[in-house]
Amino acid sequence: METAPHILVVDDDREIRDLLARFLEKQGFRVTTAREAREARKVWPLGRYHIVVLDLMMPGESGLDFARWLRGQSDVPIVMLTAMGEETDRIVGLELGADDYVAKPFNPRELLARIRAVMRRAHGEGARRDPLPSAIRFGGWVLEPQRRRLLNPDGAEVPLTGGEYELLTVLVERPNRVLTRDMLMDLLRGRQAGPFDRAIDVAVSRLRRKLEDDGRNPSLIKTVRGGGYVLAADVERAA
Amino acid sequence: MRRLLRRVRPRTLAARTALFLLLALMAVQAAGLTIHALDRVDLQRAAMERETSSRVFGLWRSMVISPPDRRAAMLAELELPEGLEAALEAGSAVRTGMLPAPPEVLRMVRPEILLGGPPRWRAREVQAGMGFGTLYVSALLPDGSAWVNLRLHMPPLRPWHSETFLIAFLLMTVAAAALIVWATRRLTRPVRDLARAANALGRDVNAPPMPEDGPLEVSTAAHAFNTMAERIRRFVGDRTQMLAAIGHDLRTPITRLKLRAEFMEDEEQRGKMLADLEEMEAMVNATLAFARDDAAAEPSVPLDLAALCRTVLDEAADARPAAAPETFAYEGPERLTVRGRPIALKRALANLVANAANYGNAARVVLVPPGAGGAAPGTIQIRVEDEGPGIPEESQEAVFQPFRRLETSRNRETGGVGLGLPIARNILRAHGGDVVLRNRPGGGLLAVATLPA
Repeated sequence: METAPHILVVDDDREIRDLLARFLEKQGFRVTTAREAREARKVWPLGRYHIVVLDLMMPGESGLDFARWLRGQSDVPIVMLTAMGEETDRIVGLELGADDYVAKPFNPRELLARIRAVMRRAHGEGARRDPLPSAIRFGGWVLEPQRRRLLNPDGAEVPLTGGEYELLTVLVERPNRVLTRDMLMDLLRGRQAGPFDRAIDVAVSRLRRKLEDDGRNPSLIKTVRGGGYVLAADVERAA
Repeated sequence: MRRLLRRVRPRTLAARTALFLLLALMAVQAAGLTIHALDRVDLQRAAMERETSSRVFGLWRSMVISPPDRRAAMLAELELPEGLEAALEAGSAVRTGMLPAPPEVLRMVRPEILLGGPPRWRAREVQAGMGFGTLYVSALLPDGSAWVNLRLHMPPLRPWHSETFLIAFLLMTVAAAALIVWATRRLTRPVRDLARAANALGRDVNAPPMPEDGPLEVSTAAHAFNTMAERIRRFVGDRTQMLAAIGHDLRTPITRLKLRAEFMEDEEQRGKMLADLEEMEAMVNATLAFARDDAAAEPSVPLDLAALCRTVLDEAADARPAAAPETFAYEGPERLTVRGRPIALKRALANLVANAANYGNAARVVLVPPGAGGAAPGTIQIRVEDEGPGIPEESQEAVFQPFRRLETSRNRETGGVGLGLPIARNILRAHGGDVVLRNRPGGGLLAVATLPA
């Protein structure tokens, strides 16, 4: 294990590339930059990268094509930089196996948090590098990670806040396992900046309401005495 | 009087045309029927002349050929046409002082035939005169023994005396009215279509073009309309593209500035700079959201509107950690499924809730299912209430114009570019709904968003 994680940054804007490299280096990463996909292919074999930060909109070969090529080479985590609202690109990107995305113009600290979270997930957890499943079923509900949405038993989309979505993802990834508040905070830190860690309990109670789980007698997300939660349901994944 | 006329005069083009045509047709019909009736009178008169004169001749003949002592009995047995009386008298019924009979009246009896024929049939003398609508003709028998006095009461001419006349008039009028109404409705339909198309264009620039068929004038108008719509579309498209390009290009410098801010030593200044950049980003995003037709690209799916309302409120609450939790409240069913575009609808509702929270200190969302209190059947209402000062009635529609902000009630700190409401309205209208504002009786503003169920 190297001391400094190595990041490959692919972005066509020189200023952003250089500033991002300086910023990430200041945060203790080793950074290699590439101007576009062609250059990235050239530098790819030269180093062992822990994560790739990839701009989706580039001249020449698009970020999506490069991501597809990269997935053929390696299962290195990919964080995509997308323009706001480019919904279809984002979905395609996640289907191609990108691990997360950040919308431009991004907050550098949020990008940093996402990078750390993705790396923790990729390397920390037994290096499970499955691509995102298309659907996760539990108790009649369907979570679609590639489209970042939840469907109720009738098939209607149930909008969730970012925090609720992240919490639900963490829970369905570990069904029938007791997660203490500390564990949840740890799993969620970085995924969601802001006031989330303030109130795991608030998020759980909101999520229960949306899952139509009775707060006093919950059947899906159960409260464990001593401060923890568990998703009590059989979970079925579809690739 | 003029007001009465205005009230009586029909308002639609079809009704006006129909009424005008119908009146004209009735006048023409009346004239035609009058001519016809006068012709009938002539015919009636000719028939009467023939009938009366032949009867008179027959009468005269029977008087002449029968023996004098049987004449009275014969006369009594004779059948005479209505209005004709005959008597055998010693003197002439024609008195001196009677008016001379006009020839067209005299023709009814044709006294000249009484003076013609073989001498033993010929009347010795014939007198004629008019008195009080009665023609008196007296003829002295050839043997000079008595006068045959004929009294013909002239029947009044009754040109309108016919049941078929009225029925025909009514039938023709009704048939013509039906035809006229049908034809004018057909003829004015293009005008209604044009009005409808213009309305649709006002709501949606990409409304389908009008069909360019039908009569020449109609297809020309439709073509002109479509050309105009196309020009408007291109104009809006150009503007939209320009806005989108500006917004898009601004993202790169904003990203750079955000990165640069990370290298600033002064914590306070960095925080302020980042806040400014966040504000800029929000403006760019709002502009882009407004310029781009996001809603059209996003697929319509079934979604839970109740969860959407809650999510929007939760996110608004999360973004304002200082606000009291009861600032954001939801009231309504636990679940309400509609078809819609989740991201677009969420943005629309988030804009309404953000306005309420920023300018009205609170956001209470009431979801009213179709048919329930206040919502029309087939319509879902989402009511967003706040506790702010409200908006003067005359400005309640103006704030839906892009970049329009009520500066007096909104200070700089609350930010915004004046696109929240236009975006919300665009999205809701694209869903077949709408959003309007009104002041609540108890104070505060109420935004009523409607969606088809």
